[in-house]
Amino acid sequence: MKHRSKNRRHREGLARRATCGACVLALLAAQAAPPALAGPYEQARRIYMRLAGVPPSSTVLQMMENKIATEPGQQGLLDAAVIATDPKYAPDFYDVTLKEFVNPWTNRNQSAFVPFNDYTATVIGMIRDDVPFNTVLSADILYTVNAPGLPAPSAANNDHYATAEADGVDFSTALKQTTQSGEYGLPVQATAGVWTTRAGAAAFFVLGTNRAQFRFTMINYLCHDMQTVMDNTRPTDRIRQDVARSPGGDSRVFLNNCAACHSGMDPMAQAFAYYDFSTTSNQLVYTAGQVQPKYLKNPQNFPWGFVTTNDDWSNRWRSGPNADLGWDASLPGSGEGAKSLGQELENTEAFASCQVAKVFQTVCLRAPTSSTDQSTVANIEALFKQSNYDLKQVFQQSAAACAGS
Amino acid sequence: MKRLEAIPRVSTPLAAATVALLALALAGCGPSGPATQVNQPTGTVPTSNYTGPAPQTVDVQHFQVSLWNNIRSTDRCGGCHHQGGQSPMFARSDDVNLAYQAALPLVNTSQPGQSTLVLKVGSGHNCWVASAQACSDTMLTWIQNWIGGGAGASEKIQLVPPPQQSVGGTKLFPTDSTAFQTLLWTPILRQFCWQCHDPNSPTPQAPYFASSDPNQAYLEAQPKINLDDPASSRFVERLANESHHCWATTSGGGPDCPGSAAKMLAAITAYANTIPVTTVDPTLVISKALLLQQGIIASGGSRYDADTIAKYEFKEGSGSIAYDTSGVSPEADLTVSGNTTWDNAWGVIFGEGSRAQALTTTSQKIANLIQTTGEYSIEVWASPANITQTKADIVGYSGSDAARDATLSQSATQYQAETRSSKTDTNGDPPLLTSMTGNFAQAALQHIVLTYDPVNGQKIYVNGQFTGDADPNGGGSLANWDNTFALVLGNETTGDRQWLGEIRFLAIHDSALTPAQVLQNFNAGVGQKYFLLFDVSSVVGIPESYIMMTASQYDNYSYLFYDPTFITLTANAQPQNIAVKGLRIGINGSIPTVGQSFSTLDTSIGPPAYTAANGQLLSSVGAVIGVDLGVTNDMFFLSFDQLGSQTHVYVEPVVPPNPPTTDNTPQPDLGVHLFAEMNASMSAVTGVPVNDAAVAAVYAAEEQSLPAVPQISSFTASEQTAVSQLAGAYCSELVNKQQYRDAFFNSPTLDANLSGAASFFNTTSNRSIVITPLVSSLAVGTTVDPTYATALQNELGALLGRIPTLSVSPAPTVATATQAACQAALGSAVLELK
Repeated sequence: MKHRSKNRRHREGLARRATCGACVLALLAAQAAPPALAGPYEQARRIYMRLAGVPPSSTVLQMMENKIATEPGQQGLLDAAVIATDPKYAPDFYDVTLKEFVNPWTNRNQSAFVPFNDYTATVIGMIRDDVPFNTVLSADILYTVNAPGLPAPSAANNDHYATAEADGVDFSTALKQTTQSGEYGLPVQATAGVWTTRAGAAAFFVLGTNRAQFRFTMINYLCHDMQTVMDNTRPTDRIRQDVARSPGGDSRVFLNNCAACHSGMDPMAQAFAYYDFSTTSNQLVYTAGQVQPKYLKNPQNFPWGFVTTNDDWSNRWRSGPNADLGWDASLPGSGEGAKSLGQELENTEAFASCQVAKVFQTVCLRAPTSSTDQSTVANIEALFKQSNYDLKQVFQQSAAACAGS
Repeated sequence: MKRLEAIPRVSTPLAAATVALLALALAGCGPSGPATQVNQPTGTVPTSNYTGPAPQTVDVQHFQVSLWNNIRSTDRCGGCHHQGGQSPMFARSDDVNLAYQAALPLVNTSQPGQSTLVLKVGSGHNCWVASAQACSDTMLTWIQNWIGGGAGASEKIQLVPPPQQSVGGTKLFPTDSTAFQTLLWTPILRQFCWQCHDPNSPTPQAPYFASSDPNQAYLEAQPKINLDDPASSRFVERLANESHHCWATTSGGGPDCPGSAAKMLAAITAYANTIPVTTVDPTLVISKALLLQQGIIASGGSRYDADTIAKYEFKEGSGSIAYDTSGVSPEADLTVSGNTTWDNAWGVIFGEGSRAQALTTTSQKIANLIQTTGEYSIEVWASPANITQTKADIVGYSGSDAARDATLSQSATQYQAETRSSKTDTNGDPPLLTSMTGNFAQAALQHIVLTYDPVNGQKIYVNGQFTGDADPNGGGSLANWDNTFALVLGNETTGDRQWLGEIRFLAIHDSALTPAQVLQNFNAGVGQKYFLLFDVSSVVGIPESYIMMTASQYDNYSYLFYDPTFITLTANAQPQNIAVKGLRIGINGSIPTVGQSFSTLDTSIGPPAYTAANGQLLSSVGAVIGVDLGVTNDMFFLSFDQLGSQTHVYVEPVVPPNPPTTDNTPQPDLGVHLFAEMNASMSAVTGVPVNDAAVAAVYAAEEQSLPAVPQISSFTASEQTAVSQLAGAYCSELVNKQQYRDAFFNSPTLDANLSGAASFFNTTSNRSIVITPLVSSLAVGTTVDPTYATALQNELGALLGRIPTLSVSPAPTVATATQAACQAALGSAVLELK
């Protein structure tokens, strides 16, 4: 920007003045856009704008309007939303909306401004292909980009995905389903959905103690940060040695705060005991049968703490206040490794309601806090589960619900 | 080395059990360390004035050097127990050999802590400082120094059956002291005991159960009252059996001990009768109950203290003095000041504006003794409050910020050492820092040792291990140490290097501890530990069977329990398949819900895990249980979901589901497009691809300035500016690149006039060349409300009509005006809102 030409500065000067006019337009549009009585045009346009994130073409808009006009009630709106999520008519639903939707889950800063990566690609692909979303934390699944001129997918770098994004590849058609075991050489039993994608590992298995992977899963997939699941009545036997029981000489801190998270988190995060993200090789490391040293850090902080010897996990939250998360009674509540823990988490009521709430908020631009919205998301959640966890349907139903009337 | 030894109640031969518990003790006390070392001579009373017979044996000589020299002065034991004075005359100055003979019965060589001399001064008997605990510790140090060389160093821990106390049969002191005041304090304690046991009396004598402050009196009196068995209260026994300050019970009569004891018993009984029994759920499967103090003391005796010249255990629990119990005179007692809190588990917690500092005169011994050897160690058990504090001095022998002999400090996750030597400046700089990547400083209780020797210089050990960080200065001479400095903890002497956290132990040695000695002292631990034998005999059907817990007060707010071990003192007992499930620690008749680490226990007692030699360790983890009524009152027991054939089903309290939070406040129905949507929308409208080089560059620069959340209430002016910048990039490419321009405007007229004057737009038809495609690309659809298109048309028309009138240089051209109209349209709410 420092080397702009004089003419360009001049043009931008005009543009800035023009923008003042835009402010007026903004006001006009803001007043006009939410019609008191929205017709098929307004509803179709909103559905498309909310789902695809861009203005529709005249042709697509007309198709949607026709659906709404000819199929009164919710079905017409839903059919219009189906068009707005069809790669043929709305590639930006995948290229733009879903990318913005998923990117924040892939890093600790929860930033959407990150390069396209295998985590985001995998979630977008699962949504596009109606892959049951309750396998997102457990499946041996990966999406790569099928486009010319891209570096090969690699467990050691993100070049394949970053280049695809820079090249403006249309992900709605170019994403190709494959497996982590096949593409990255990870043992099948070690694959666990987005957890074991390269981006997921780079963000949450790097350094630390692997608790971050659990915490951010709670945030991103169960819509609970740790402070909302604190329960200090669970047994404290599985809290690792690195957690001080009397920080600064005050064990009340441990008993009232630390234990409330770690008593539930540590026994579950043990599922990740064989994982690390190497900052040397820049890739996920899985050491079957061998606990990563990060699990044995600072043993003298509390020598009588739990010493991790394997990746057995146990869910202590199946009883107590966090039973409210709605655990699947058909699952055992314990297991070995990340895959089975992923199944434990992705089959909770909280997982289903969280996905619906996230989508509803993305499409309807508000949290479902009103009694009307809560009723709406409850219905959508029921349909989500009935549809074998088809998240694309949740987008469609949310858009239909918020199309205006 | 410490050993446990069973003292069975029964008289049957219990060789096997004894061996078993001996081995168990070895297992339970952690790694064994070398035997207690002979301390250096620490006599403070000059021996040159002794003209009596020479010591007849080496042991008498050790006695003379380590104990006798320290106690024979007139302000200590020698004031009474001198030759011709009160028996036993163990402090007589005329003949050290006779003093030795008199002292032998007063010393327990297997359990020095149980020596009469220690217990006597520990009870306040002629303690030469204000703290009986400090006298007790100092006396213990002297005795250990003596017997360490002359009577063997190992200490036996004897397991004896605990008192039989049922859970729920316990009366607990209520919080309210009203009944105590009415029945005991006012009519008896304030009447007959105040002349000594009141801190304001002419001859104050702790404990102050007759204090004019009833709350203080209440707390101090509780250990002297047995609510369950008033007759065994210390108050009663003292009068009835020891004739301690009895009073006249009849007018004009003399002291009447039986009458005084009866009156005291009646008062305590009346008081106890006002307190209900705490009951426990009768369906629970439980052990017998124990107080912490009813456990068997498990600590002490395995430290390396041969070269200790100052030692602080912080057992005081109150007051403003932390006593130096090294036994090396002069005692460099610390004055604790500012925002400090005593930890009843032994320690001082330093808050903002606090420190503990010794006098420069008493601190002088540190410089003097260390300069003699040329090496030293600072050994501390400390718990930093956080790992963010820097320039935080934990322990220093210092004069100011700029002048010190030695300081151990914390710098975030690093420990720092500064020692004045021939290799450093007078502030001990440059310092030794532990590595940043090592993250050695943790907000947890840590054993930190700084050693200095002339070869290696400074070395720092954390939790028994050398950090591996070499002193950049190497070793040197300490000849330039200044002996006018002061020992200071938790801060600098100038008060501007505050350290926040707790110090639970400090020892200064005039030698550089070896790695093995550091490890030995680390393994010795800190604080008082007990073996609690919870009787489960009646449940498992084997006499004298126990779940033994190692327990301690962890800090002011909790207890630590670990190593739950099934043992039996019954010879030849062979436990078989005794199921143990769901062990919980109970306290005062109830079971805390927080901190239970053994509730998931699910095992079985029996061979091969159970052996007569070791019993059976049931769990390797520990439990931290919160304090309830205080360490003197909290009565513990164990509860089981199953023990043997007895079961109790633990029912998890049902927590009602959280009701949804409903907020019916109307929310905006509109939002703004996010950054990528904005980019894609502009591309879709103009036909300029997102990866156009000029556009991509602007997008990369502006991406994070564009809206990141859709809430319209969060939309800011800076985001509007970024939108305008991006719109400018798209419109610039649209207008200036022919393929985009032709595809969008499809107007040869526009192409032909691009560089012409903006007055081109003074006609409606020319304005429509630009406006029509813009409006149709934004307000798409055949059924679009005409008012929307008209509004947009009018705005753009007005803009293009106004541009030619602007007085700017260079004058606007068709191209610039077209770009402006495009930018205004793209940067408007038409595209921003969704």
